[in-house]
Amino acid sequence: MATAAERGGKGVTALLVGPAATFFLLLLVLPLTVVVLYSFGERAPAGGYAPAFTFDNYLNLASRGQAFLNTLMMAPLGTLLCAVVAYPMAYYLAVKASPKWRTLLLVLIIVPFWTSQLLRIYAWLLILGSKGVPAYLEMIGIEGVRLVNTRFAVLVGMVYGYLPLMIFPIYVSLERLDKRLLEASADLGASPVRTFLQVTLPVSLPGVATGSLLVFILLMGEFIIPALLGGGKVFFIGNALVDLFLQSRNWPFGAAVAVSMVLVMLASIVVYMRFVLARGGMRQEPVV
Amino acid sequence: MRWYAGAIYVFLYLPIALIVIFSFNAGRYAMDWQGFSIEWYFKAFANPFAMKALRTSLVVALWTAVLATIIGTLAALGLERVRGWLRQAFDALIYIAIMVPGVVIGIATLIAFVTVFDLVNPALAALVGDAAPRLAMGLPTVIGAHVLFNLAVVILIVRSRLAGLDRTLIEASEDLYATPFATFRQVVLPLLAPAILASFLLSFTFSFEDFIIAFFVAGPDSTLPIYIFSSIRRGITPEVNAIGTVVLVVSLTLLIAAQFLLRERGGNRRRGAAA
Amino acid sequence: MSDDSKPISSKDFIHELMRYRRGSVSRRHFLGVTGLGLATAVLGNAMPGLRPRKAWAAGELGDTLNFTTWPNYFDQANLDQFTKDTGVNINVTVFGSNEEMLAKLQAGGTGWDVFVPTNYTISTYQSLDLIEALDLARIPNFVEADHDARFIGEAKIGGAIYAVPKDWGTTGYVVNTAKVKGAMTTWKEFWDRTRGDLSGLVMVHDYQLTTIGNALKYFGYSFNSIDPKELADAEKLLIECKPHLFAINSDYQPAIRAGDALVSVAWTGDATQLKRDIPEIEYVLGREGGEIWTDFYAIPKGASNPAAAYAFINFMLDPAVNAREVQAHGYPSTDSRTNALVPKEMLDNPILYPAQELLSALEFGAAATLTDPLRAEIMARFKSA
Repeated sequence: MATAAERGGKGVTALLVGPAATFFLLLLVLPLTVVVLYSFGERAPAGGYAPAFTFDNYLNLASRGQAFLNTLMMAPLGTLLCAVVAYPMAYYLAVKASPKWRTLLLVLIIVPFWTSQLLRIYAWLLILGSKGVPAYLEMIGIEGVRLVNTRFAVLVGMVYGYLPLMIFPIYVSLERLDKRLLEASADLGASPVRTFLQVTLPVSLPGVATGSLLVFILLMGEFIIPALLGGGKVFFIGNALVDLFLQSRNWPFGAAVAVSMVLVMLASIVVYMRFVLARGGMRQEPVV
Repeated sequence: MRWYAGAIYVFLYLPIALIVIFSFNAGRYAMDWQGFSIEWYFKAFANPFAMKALRTSLVVALWTAVLATIIGTLAALGLERVRGWLRQAFDALIYIAIMVPGVVIGIATLIAFVTVFDLVNPALAALVGDAAPRLAMGLPTVIGAHVLFNLAVVILIVRSRLAGLDRTLIEASEDLYATPFATFRQVVLPLLAPAILASFLLSFTFSFEDFIIAFFVAGPDSTLPIYIFSSIRRGITPEVNAIGTVVLVVSLTLLIAAQFLLRERGGNRRRGAAA
Repeated sequence: MSDDSKPISSKDFIHELMRYRRGSVSRRHFLGVTGLGLATAVLGNAMPGLRPRKAWAAGELGDTLNFTTWPNYFDQANLDQFTKDTGVNINVTVFGSNEEMLAKLQAGGTGWDVFVPTNYTISTYQSLDLIEALDLARIPNFVEADHDARFIGEAKIGGAIYAVPKDWGTTGYVVNTAKVKGAMTTWKEFWDRTRGDLSGLVMVHDYQLTTIGNALKYFGYSFNSIDPKELADAEKLLIECKPHLFAINSDYQPAIRAGDALVSVAWTGDATQLKRDIPEIEYVLGREGGEIWTDFYAIPKGASNPAAAYAFINFMLDPAVNAREVQAHGYPSTDSRTNALVPKEMLDNPILYPAQELLSALEFGAAATLTDPLRAEIMARFKSA
């Protein structure tokens, strides 16, 4: 709409963009500014914020080092696992499943998302709890397995919660794969593995990258899954943040943790995009 | 391969199956099957707080979807006309809105609003006296926070669809003396329809399902996820399972209905073309 | 034989408590003379009858009451009765620590009408202007003289009463003796065995007061210590034990019932409830000491439905209703009229009424622990570790 800018002029533009701008200002810029402001303050005696200007909160960030470490280790691990589990599924749907059933199968993947996330995670507590999987393991002789309240449980929860989000982008990019290319490759004598590595995988990489980035961002900010499945023992940055507001009532320090959390995520995303997209030789695609 | 796919489906549906099965549990505790019973469904519907939470969630999700879709679509259209640093600032804000974790947005919005309300309320009371409206956290704050996040998503979706629009159609419309508004209404809007619809559905879903942001900014009001969370803390009874199952069944029904409708229209079109 | 027809004065009560703690008098004497025990049956009969329940017109009290309390802390039948009597639906929210309640109230806009704070928090709530003095005329079922001044003390600020007592109790730990070999009697054993043979089977609360407090007891320090050196020792112990814990959660009943955890820091009433269903559960008060506490009903400032709040509190303090509460949740009451209606087995239950030498080592929580930034920070670091 190159000529649209002349039509109606600035007035129309302002009208179109105004409401959104107001929302962004009031509900994004304002809160984030307040957070940054608070991060330089001091904790009021009984909790809350006392106006001040100090860097103490940032200097104290190291005390949450373990939480940062947990997140920075488990989020990429969870993303990787999710991608590994999702890929064959997406491949099956895009390449092997008959088109007749494809829509149904795809929808069936998303349906679980329509039950409350909290309920689904709670169900995992039951599955991994002492009356679930460990009980069955005991029946076949493997005793003393404790699955709940562990890092393992949190990983399972993460993979479970974000699997559909990973399957879809990979499916979308694999779907564009021309099946005849696969036939051609086989006809030319390539082994299935080689076909996969040199024909299928490159086509799917943008999808994998998109899915991974999305899941990674969401995993970094997770706090429900570690809280419920980790039994209060596995702390992500999100948990540290919530705890600072809901238990310690140390708003300034919490604000500092929030700011650093966002900065860490920004940094990881930049690194991630350079690494993954450079590897895949892809241009930077928009997230959506 | 098929075994793998099957296994994945089992993995995805195992918790769902548990939730649904234990909604029919006569006993109080999950994993402790004590016979079949549908009493929890009656209890759930009779529970005023559960029903209020469900209603609240629906209202919030509807408002969010409507507001986010309209404002977002307008913004996506308007952003095409914005250039330079303003455009970059906007783009940055959109990506920030998506990237900042829900937890941070929830907490940030909470403390920002609490601070602002603490400043504004006394001023209002001083100006207007006792009849002054008291600003507080509640449904409007939840809707506001939800709209923000979904705005970014809507703008991205609509914008990418806009980018793929065939410009020649619009030029043709103008050449045929259509007013800009008519062009918009009869050419652009129908072409954008899939994106707008998708945005609406996505916004509704995100808002309905959201727990993290609502947890912080809802004040005294409860959305369904908040109600479920406090049920988990209270000691989960099959009543919560019943509510979850009902939501699932309703969504499935809507989906199947939508499928039928679409297939019918598609079928008609095919019949029409063949005729 | 002491004169049982007159309520005991606060001075005499403290005198008797000291005697009991020193072991100069038996528990039976203590219970009898302070009006806490069976002898109050006489007292109960001598009192002017139980105050009749006030009848409410439909809709007079609004239709919702937001009640914030602790896990497993009320009898649902009583709440249902209140709803039947008044038409007010009760929305229950549950918290596992006072800090969380305070955080929510500080953030404002909670919509709570009645909440249950513990003794050491009341002065902070009052100083932060989060609660108001109660209008006792609206709670006729609260007769101050029938409650023990020692338990009420902290709710009285500047002569006004800011909260009325719900019950009192202690903090110890529960042990599933069917699966745990060897008797456990001290906090030292608790923390040592967590790192030893009970690894992976022990729970602590997500609550700085009891978690840090009982870690301090391991070293024999005060439960309420805010001394940085002592707290550093406690923190070291906690972080060492963390990998061996099953969970950090104030709602420990489900895990103990399921057998996922065998030992957990616990409050009196949960121990009573658990032992009722699982007789092998034992409640242990560490010999080094621990916490004795009182919980109160309070009304936050700006409550949305104060009329219903007062009616509810008054209803719950009705001795007949309160006696049902005690039997359901298993925490001892501070009210002598209520205890007159509680079955003898409960009054003799050592979980509710521990032996004097254990009771005497316990401390009431101190207000400083609520506001002390170091304790809050240590708890957060422990959870982050």
